[in-house]
Amino acid sequence: MRSKLNYLISVSLKRKIKTKWFMAANIILFIVILAALNIDSIITFFGGDFNDTMKIYVVDKADSFDIFSNQMQANSFNLTNDEEFGYELINYKEDKTAEDLIKEEKKKALVIVLEKKANVLEATITSQNFIDTLDYQVISNALTNTKVSLAILDSKISMEEINKIYEPINIARVILDENEKSEDEATSMIMSTVFPVIILPFFMLTLFLVQMIGAEVNDEKTTRGMEIIISNVSPKTHFFAKVIAGNLFVLIQGMLLVCFVVVGFLVRNIIGGASITNGVIDEFGGVINTVLASGLGSKLIYVVPLTLVLMLLTFLAYSLLAGILASMTTNTEDFQQLQTPIIIISLIGYYLSIMAGVFDGALFIKFFAFVPLISAILAPSLLIIGQIGVIEVSIAIIIMIVVNTLLIKYGLKIYKVGILNYSSKGLWKKMFKALKD
Amino acid sequence: MLKVENVTKYYGDFLAVDNLSFTVKEGEIFGLLGVNGAGKTTTFRMIMGLLDASSGSVTWNDKKIDYDVTDKIGFLTEERSLLTKLTVKEQCLFYGTLKGMQDDVIIKRLETLLEKFNISEYKDKKIKELSKGNQQKIQFITAIINEPKLLILDEPFSGLDPINVELFKNEIIEMAQKGSMIIFSSHRMEHVELFCEKLVVLLKGKTVLEGKIADIKKQYRKKNIFIKANIELEKLKQVDGVLSVSNVGDEIEVKIANEEVAPKVFEVVAKASDISKFVIEEPSLNEIFIAKVGENYEK
Repeated sequence: MRSKLNYLISVSLKRKIKTKWFMAANIILFIVILAALNIDSIITFFGGDFNDTMKIYVVDKADSFDIFSNQMQANSFNLTNDEEFGYELINYKEDKTAEDLIKEEKKKALVIVLEKKANVLEATITSQNFIDTLDYQVISNALTNTKVSLAILDSKISMEEINKIYEPINIARVILDENEKSEDEATSMIMSTVFPVIILPFFMLTLFLVQMIGAEVNDEKTTRGMEIIISNVSPKTHFFAKVIAGNLFVLIQGMLLVCFVVVGFLVRNIIGGASITNGVIDEFGGVINTVLASGLGSKLIYVVPLTLVLMLLTFLAYSLLAGILASMTTNTEDFQQLQTPIIIISLIGYYLSIMAGVFDGALFIKFFAFVPLISAILAPSLLIIGQIGVIEVSIAIIIMIVVNTLLIKYGLKIYKVGILNYSSKGLWKKMFKALKD
Repeated sequence: MLKVENVTKYYGDFLAVDNLSFTVKEGEIFGLLGVNGAGKTTTFRMIMGLLDASSGSVTWNDKKIDYDVTDKIGFLTEERSLLTKLTVKEQCLFYGTLKGMQDDVIIKRLETLLEKFNISEYKDKKIKELSKGNQQKIQFITAIINEPKLLILDEPFSGLDPINVELFKNEIIEMAQKGSMIIFSSHRMEHVELFCEKLVVLLKGKTVLEGKIADIKKQYRKKNIFIKANIELEKLKQVDGVLSVSNVGDEIEVKIANEEVAPKVFEVVAKASDISKFVIEEPSLNEIFIAKVGENYEK
């Protein structure tokens, strides 16, 4: 004979997964993730002139084309972080001819007239339409630097010296505290921004979890099916079945999300995602490279398992809480009202983890790293940016274990009374009485 | 045998059931009657183990009812306890499995019962798509799918037409004949009268009437005489011991205080013309119920 607990778990899971709405939701999620990871290719596919190299006709009356060309290369790299030079510089002698060309080339071309007035470089930029802000900034910086270079040249400093002047300064970083590595500084800054984005799916899964358990308990309660179920299985079995099924569901959904992301990246590779914008992959790859180069990779060996343990414990706490609250409410609307504050608790952790990088060492934020439901997000964030250590995260884990134990012990008492209570009159009195029994 | 012994249930300070006792033997159909809020559902919930009694005990074959024996119990709640998003088959598989049944056994039994209740075509329909009456049939089927040894039916006939009441009644009687103990509540006294052997009438948690129906009727001394004759009602009213006289269709109904009054009435009727009927009948359970509950309602 099959176990009633296993049966209830499988029924709950089937009810959620073997529906066309689960399929529909995941198809939509898959399309959205696929599209987000390949957004540049999609934009390119529908056409536009963003992929074209901008032609710049330089009417050089100041004999400064070479210097300007060098400055354009340097500024283009500095500002766009793109090794590919997106401009085609053409040295023109007649501005009128160039302007005619612009009309043919339309907005991806412009003319810059360089001339010296009172020994100072001046420039006129002519284009058919507005220029992209970034392009304008690159050109503007290059022109300013060219002007300075010309002035330096006039002061008889060699070209080699000028290049050295324009090279970025070498900074030797020294941190006196031996516990803090200098490379952590950069990665901390990166991870304090990246980590909250990585854990964004955690919220989505928490929402799914709370909604699933609440809806199921309410459905069985409002239809009075609960009386038949509880007359055949104990409230304890029923409660655990809901909690286990809910957690299995979020794990399945979580794995599906990971699969969608992997497929999204694979598709990006296949269709040649390294297009002109070179966005997500390169930036993500850049972060990974920076992380590995900085030695944070070794840190992730314990950060990832600790984060996963905290998240699983938090999912468990959320599911227990959702089950208890759903048993107390007498209809779906009441539960939906309760659902919002539960989710907001998690959102506090999310915002605090973003703010942790700004308010370095804030005791207030550190305190919340131990608070149940918030710790799953905040504690790993603080660990990564070095504001707390493994011991503090371990304490947060122990607190979560204690909270879950208490939720099971006392929550079950409330659940047993709540699931067969159909009246909101004297609700809290009934629940406190249940706790005392 | 099911034994309910001195069971009392308080909700806070509110007394829901007061010192209730009764027994139900194998093959017996037992009626638990009462007006709304009398304590019937609370009693059923205590039998099912959904509620703990404040005092007293409920035992089945001298053992407390727990999850070891619930597989042998069938329970039909007063309100619909069906998960309306499921199909009839899914619903029966769900409740059947919770009763420890195997899928193939459930399906076989379901098909038999659906055929018996003339609703085989609804097997794969969602419950919310069914009419109220058909939902009640499905609810009844889920309660008896495990061929329970103890069947508890809280208002089983609600929402049913007379033809379906007959179907239910036959099934209940058949189950009792096979040895099942059946406890049910109903507001419809004619149903209780049809197949109950014993009953308890509750009023505000207290027992106001109990025992075998035949004994209850015997103890209730009042009788009814139905007459078809050409006679003035006033003459009947003047007979000592006559409580009321009224026209019921083309007949006259005379309520008398006890059986000894009947000959006196007959004497008066004998003098009338066109006499075609003079029948002494026992009062209906409904009459006894109203009289007993009304008598105690103000106390």
